[in-house]
Amino acid sequence: MSSLLECRDLVKAYGDHTVVDEVGFSIAEGEAYGLLGPNGAGKTTTISMLVGLLAPDAGSVTVAGVPVADDPIAAKRLVGFVPQEIALYPELSARENLRFFGRLYGLGRSELSTRIDELLEMVSLADRADDRVGHYSGGMKRRANIAVALLHQPRLLILDEPTVGVDPQSRAAILDQVERWVADGMSLLYTSHYMEEVERVCTRVGIIDRGRLVADGTRRELVAELGGTDRVELVLDGDIGAAAEKLRTVQGITEAVVTGPTTVQLLVIGGRTLLPGMLEAVSGSAAVTGVEVIEPDLEAAFLHLTGSTLRD
Amino acid sequence: MTAPRPVRALVVANLSRQVRDKVGMFFVVVMPFVTILFVGMALGTGGSALPVGVVADDGDATARLVLAELETNEDLEITRADTADEVRADVRNGRLAAGLIIPSGSSGLELVMTPSSGSGMAARGAIDVAVGKAAAVLEATSAAEAAGAAPDDAVAYVEEAQSDAVAVSIESSGDQGEGDAPTGFAYTAPANLLLFTFINSMAVAAALVESRRLGMIRRALVAPVRSRQVLAGEAVSRFLVALAQSLLIIVVSSLLFGVQWGDPFGVTAVVVLFCLIATGAAMMVGAWVKQPQQAPAIGMPIGIVLGMLGGCLWPREVAGDALSTIGYVSPHTWAMDALLTLADPGTGITSILPELAVLAGMAVLALGVAVVAFRRRAMVTG
Repeated sequence: MSSLLECRDLVKAYGDHTVVDEVGFSIAEGEAYGLLGPNGAGKTTTISMLVGLLAPDAGSVTVAGVPVADDPIAAKRLVGFVPQEIALYPELSARENLRFFGRLYGLGRSELSTRIDELLEMVSLADRADDRVGHYSGGMKRRANIAVALLHQPRLLILDEPTVGVDPQSRAAILDQVERWVADGMSLLYTSHYMEEVERVCTRVGIIDRGRLVADGTRRELVAELGGTDRVELVLDGDIGAAAEKLRTVQGITEAVVTGPTTVQLLVIGGRTLLPGMLEAVSGSAAVTGVEVIEPDLEAAFLHLTGSTLRD
Repeated sequence: MTAPRPVRALVVANLSRQVRDKVGMFFVVVMPFVTILFVGMALGTGGSALPVGVVADDGDATARLVLAELETNEDLEITRADTADEVRADVRNGRLAAGLIIPSGSSGLELVMTPSSGSGMAARGAIDVAVGKAAAVLEATSAAEAAGAAPDDAVAYVEEAQSDAVAVSIESSGDQGEGDAPTGFAYTAPANLLLFTFINSMAVAAALVESRRLGMIRRALVAPVRSRQVLAGEAVSRFLVALAQSLLIIVVSSLLFGVQWGDPFGVTAVVVLFCLIATGAAMMVGAWVKQPQQAPAIGMPIGIVLGMLGGCLWPREVAGDALSTIGYVSPHTWAMDALLTLADPGTGITSILPELAVLAGMAVLALGVAVVAFRRRAMVTG
């Protein structure tokens, strides 16, 4: 498959702080690529460079062979971008917002009108098309937000946290729709805090941490990097910080991260065999009220690669 | 010539948003006229006469003459008071536009008025005329007596001379029709045009801040458009709102209040340049503040202070020399001077070239700073 998006050695720094450090990956035609990373990892800055909003200090981005730096207008025509925020005028209706963006993309009057009707139908907003967006529910706003990015029928769709702040029903509807687009062969770059969304939608995943791309591969490839490592979640009652500290000293435990007021996640080589040692290590600090050993998954791979959970 | 499509798209969207903002439209459409009406009436409207209190001794010749002259003026409503303190109190609390105390046997008259009151200023003009006429009669009578006439004969000669004299009158060829009382609208209409256009430009900057906050500008920049087109779309939107408000005030004040604005080319030049300055100010506010509600909170006081310095709230003459001089930093001052000059008959755009030059310079400066600020702060996308 040929690469639709190719970014190489992207660097962006603000003063002494390097936000994106030699990040490079590619997305093939028809591929759904997930970019995972905790807050502040450099995802949004990377995406800003991909869509031509921000000039990289070094490195290059090409979309379908068009260098973004040399011909940003041509490159932008190939990309649809769904920002994390609801970037719609609340005083205007969904139809008016779509018309506004359609004009920015240079669509002709009749083409735009037809396309708006199609998209409103696609995102199930046809019956509320002329209501002000400010009166919409969170899920409806999200759907309208996505529709805008599809107006000009882009070859690559970039979705930055498209389900943030929506109810479970709307989230499911959005994911169903994205899955259908992927099945139809749309190329996708998807970022999310929700590991399960990326696992569900994407065929390949890049993990970005502290500005660096620390892993890039299919789900199977990333999980395979864990070897015989299991993810273990302990539910504790007591001094959870001290317990985590003690767990880190146990041989075979490679990571111990406090993930909630009563939970610690561990990466353990041979999870089941080390359980007695874990229980003994925390016994002075906390009582164990629950244990779950989870088979190697993307979450474990993320923890292994970054030393933190995705929502840290 | 048509604007590029992205610029038009932004303008259409922004104007649609403005029209749907009921509070914003109230300030753009209704508020200026309410203010013009009430301030215009306070500065001296047609219709009711100005109440003037007079303390005078009927036995005094000077008092009789001044009273007679005052009572011939239909624009004044003369009421007699017993004491000077009573008149002073009534002027202070606004029941009287002005007061006149005529001491018995003295030619030193005391005028009581509040300098910042428009009606007081108007009453003063009428009182000055009446006192001047009375003084002229007294001087003529004294001259007749000095020439040998008996006092009663001297009075008779002067009265005869007055009736025989050709009346010298000035006929207004300006905005006031014959018999119309002078109105304050000729002043308040341009003053409020400048005041509200500027303040509302600052207030509508809230929509610009909201566009930034929502990520609309960022998203627009993802589209295949140039950043200068997005900048132009935002600027033209603010400019058109300011221009529309100015035109509305000009048209409605002409039709409802009979305000004559003068040379249309001159007025257009002043208004366009002033709207460009207001647009620059709005873009600066839109670039600098972080929350939409901060725009009117910052813009309103700035607009009012500049309006005060520029004579939009009261005539600059009453503010004193120091403030009047400081006022030249305000675009309102130059625009107000230009509009008041244009309202005089016989003037045109050539009469206001210095004001236009200063306004053009201010517009270039305001827009230049705004473009730099907006590019640096509102279009930074990292």
